[in-house]
Amino acid sequence: MTAVDPVTVEARLRDIQSITDAALSRLDDRELLAELLDRIREILQVDTAAVLLLDFSSGQLIATAAAGLEEEVRQGVRIPVGRGFAGRIAAEHRPVILDRVDHTTVLNPILWAKGIQSMMGVPMVAGGKVIGVLHVGSLARRQFTGYDTELLQLTADRAAVAVQSMAAQADRVASAALQRSLVPSALPAVAGVEMAARYVPGRGGVGGDWYDVFTLPTGELCVVIGDVAGSGLAAAVIMGRMRSALRAYALETLDPGEVLARLDRKMQHFEPSALATVLYAVIDAAADQMHVCLAGHFPPVIALPGRPAELVRATPGLMIGVVGGVKRPVTAVTIPPGALLCFYTDGLLERPGELIDDGLTRLCQVVSTQPPEAACAAVMGALIGSEPARDDVALLMIWRQAWPDPPGNIAGADGA
Amino acid sequence: MPDAMFPVEIVSGVPVVATPEEIDITNAGGLRAALLESAAHGSGRLVVDMSRTRFCDTAGLHALVSAHKRALADGGEVRLVISGAAVQRIFTITGLNHVIPNFTSLQEALGQTSVS
Repeated sequence: MTAVDPVTVEARLRDIQSITDAALSRLDDRELLAELLDRIREILQVDTAAVLLLDFSSGQLIATAAAGLEEEVRQGVRIPVGRGFAGRIAAEHRPVILDRVDHTTVLNPILWAKGIQSMMGVPMVAGGKVIGVLHVGSLARRQFTGYDTELLQLTADRAAVAVQSMAAQADRVASAALQRSLVPSALPAVAGVEMAARYVPGRGGVGGDWYDVFTLPTGELCVVIGDVAGSGLAAAVIMGRMRSALRAYALETLDPGEVLARLDRKMQHFEPSALATVLYAVIDAAADQMHVCLAGHFPPVIALPGRPAELVRATPGLMIGVVGGVKRPVTAVTIPPGALLCFYTDGLLERPGELIDDGLTRLCQVVSTQPPEAACAAVMGALIGSEPARDDVALLMIWRQAWPDPPGNIAGADGA
Repeated sequence: MPDAMFPVEIVSGVPVVATPEEIDITNAGGLRAALLESAAHGSGRLVVDMSRTRFCDTAGLHALVSAHKRALADGGEVRLVISGAAVQRIFTITGLNHVIPNFTSLQEALGQTSVS
């Protein structure tokens, strides 16, 4: 190898510093990506630079950021992995240099129409997986060197970190927003009944727990609580679909077993990889009886005046999303005046090193016949305390008042 | 790469995945990977030994149900070893005890007779 002259060494050091510049960290991720593209364009003296990110669900690379090639992003260019220039880089997991840019080597017509003569691209890797491709192009024909490739790879590595952080942030924000929109903050007003609820995300952020309470045109009160396997945006999206489907089926039939059977059939067909536990209950308009169906979910706790709270003896049924055509047993539960019903997800029960049954016992000890807000506070205080829960927690209390309200006391109540 | 939390052992030609005390969202990915790897052994049958496990949340159940469905589609079978009351309780509540064949000991799970 020939000796590298000091001027070159100094220039190279400057190039590397420009890419690894600590000041870049002060930019937000999107700005950082744009700045990296500008800098690499300047250092390598190329005309275009672009980032395409892998969309895991479709297996396509999607143009996400570009310099000198903005139309690629604006037109939403998509390249299947394994095809064309960028697709080859992602599939082969290694740099590719092109000395000829035309329809035989490059899939995206924008690139050849622009008159790009030479291209070089490298994979963006995070956690050992390709997450995208960074490529540069020159309008003049040129020979990219090994040093050029190394610099571009260095840029891609830094860009990959920014992209990962951007994706995680977007996922967190979107799932939290979706969760907020799905979990009702205001519960319906129903004569003779009081309700209160809590939702607390776990340490890992928003998970797949949700609850829903709504009335039917015929006056019944419907209660849903569930837990979708998974977390983040993917779980929140499935949760949203299950919630809408349940509301639609609730309008079609009063039989909770039939509602859950329809939900299961819908999920198995449209979301075959989803798995969830769901409790669905229909409380009569007079609020004196509940029909409950469990799809792999924990039974509610019931507290009656003057008696210790206990688990409702409801027949278990299979989780949603396992196998079709199973029986969905429905249990009828009498709700005397003053009774409190407590619906919850397993996040409430789990404590490291403790058995589920211990959690259930503690829950039954703390639930008592009292107004639901106080009951929620007591349960959260006793079972969650000040430690952030590992998993998310949903809790819903429904209290049948001991004495009926005088007529006209509750706004919006439908004559029960 | 095998996950130290989910060791896989081949017993009489059948892959046996042993699960830790707790399976939740933080390690369910490891279980999923261990199950996929074991299924790739191609013997058709796969045993998940849950005798040490005391807690399993929906993320853990998801990994087991996916492996069960995959095995059925490939003409194979996933068998579980459940000896503790806590896991038995979770499988009863979720109804999975009627769906995924389960046994109280590893010897039984490795036996030839299929119990459903």
